[in-house]
Amino acid sequence: MPSRSWPDIVVSGIGVTSAIGQGKVAFTAALLEGRHRFDVMRRPGRQRPLPVNGEGTPEEPAAAFLGAEIASVSMPGSVSRSLLRTASFSAQVALATLYEAWHDAKLDAIDPERIGLIVGGSNFQQRELVQVHDAYRHREAFLRPTYGMSFMDSDLCGLCTQAFGIRGFAYTVGGASASGQVVVLQAIQAVQSGQVDACIAIGALMDISYWECQGFRSLGAMGSDRYAKDPASACRPFDRDRDGFIFGESCGVVVIQRADSVSMTEIRPYALLAGWAMGMDGNRNPDPSLEGEVGAITAALQRAGLSAKDIDYVNPHGTGSTMGDITELEAIRRCGLDHAHLNATKSVIGHGLSAAGAVELIAILLQMQEGWLHPSRNLEQPIEPGLNWVRDQAVPHRIENALNLSMGFGGVNTAVCLRKC
Amino acid sequence: MSETKVSKEEILEIIVRHTREVVPELEAHEFRPDDSLKALGANSVDRADIIMMTLESLVLNIPLVAMAKAENISELAEIIHAKS
Repeated sequence: MPSRSWPDIVVSGIGVTSAIGQGKVAFTAALLEGRHRFDVMRRPGRQRPLPVNGEGTPEEPAAAFLGAEIASVSMPGSVSRSLLRTASFSAQVALATLYEAWHDAKLDAIDPERIGLIVGGSNFQQRELVQVHDAYRHREAFLRPTYGMSFMDSDLCGLCTQAFGIRGFAYTVGGASASGQVVVLQAIQAVQSGQVDACIAIGALMDISYWECQGFRSLGAMGSDRYAKDPASACRPFDRDRDGFIFGESCGVVVIQRADSVSMTEIRPYALLAGWAMGMDGNRNPDPSLEGEVGAITAALQRAGLSAKDIDYVNPHGTGSTMGDITELEAIRRCGLDHAHLNATKSVIGHGLSAAGAVELIAILLQMQEGWLHPSRNLEQPIEPGLNWVRDQAVPHRIENALNLSMGFGGVNTAVCLRKC
Repeated sequence: MSETKVSKEEILEIIVRHTREVVPELEAHEFRPDDSLKALGANSVDRADIIMMTLESLVLNIPLVAMAKAENISELAEIIHAKS
């Protein structure tokens, strides 16, 4: 292994909330069983309103979009009810998820001025905003004053730092669907540079409204109504019959620390963050780039001092998009990763958009801990059958070195290598 | 505003109802007319929300700045009543 000039960086705590469960125990159990919650989305503000005729009678049923929604969120008692009153759904889920990660990493033991927080994602409270706009249209004078601060994504920074007493820095970063991984990279740099001793990276829950659903669908990114009568079959990354991503609500929180700052008697780190990379395609559009993906993988492996043969598991971006899935598998092949085990976390939990990169990194850590790889749902006819897929049943496997990939609209490519420690 | 003017006492009740909603910790508090929202723990944003929710309930569009001088909920109800 080549010597490195930077300190070892580890994940010291995690928190996760998704449609398949809140907390790492429930999440792991559901993930390994391939238990899903895909259905017609029912959260208010996610159905296109009924078109009406001249007499005000609905002309056709409301447009329904498929996805996986969180049934309920258990809030920690330590977060005051008055703080929760004006917290958006994204913010509430972030607070609950951060609570788990905070205690997992035992952050109470760290000087609050040496703790930083970064929120990954942008424009992630859209459904909440649409609901406010609809409620106060034509009576704007009565808009609640709190809207003036809560509409900003950075409100999450204020809420989380107040609720947990964080006194380092806090800000948001965006990288479209790669935001969850971009925020982890940013947190690594904050810890590596010595800016803080512990940095919390939140992959925020992207709370989309029917406007974003319609936009994604029109763009051809979100799955069509092909599986409207069979929601369980709609989310099928890497399968021949896929036709777009299926949304899934989720939030992931990762605590990053230098290995030498973690008290090993108190905490057993989940994994070493061995290498990482981010590169842009120089392309504003949603189309993927083979060169961009290969570049990110190659750079992350190089930074980790690993070769492709060292990687025994890949957690791909795998959204179920027509071109994205093909390009990603080609990149995996071109990088010499054909041998590595491969599954699709989004097939179980859906696409969390801004949260995806963080939640999928957590999925790797939990599989590493369990010694099992979760199944890939609906992978009936893989577009690349020769790869080492985990199909419809979990398989035992002890991950030593894993690779996690994320991509985002606008030409974002990120890759992270994790090593068991 | 409706044709029948709402009484100051009714406005006070509306203020108390919204205060309990905005500051849930005051659910069991026995409100008195000389209670100050600030002293009860409502911060400036909470107070602005409470006043706006009260005005919304009364369908009364008056600038929030007009309420700035109120020292307690009774004075607040009085100002709103005078402008209704």
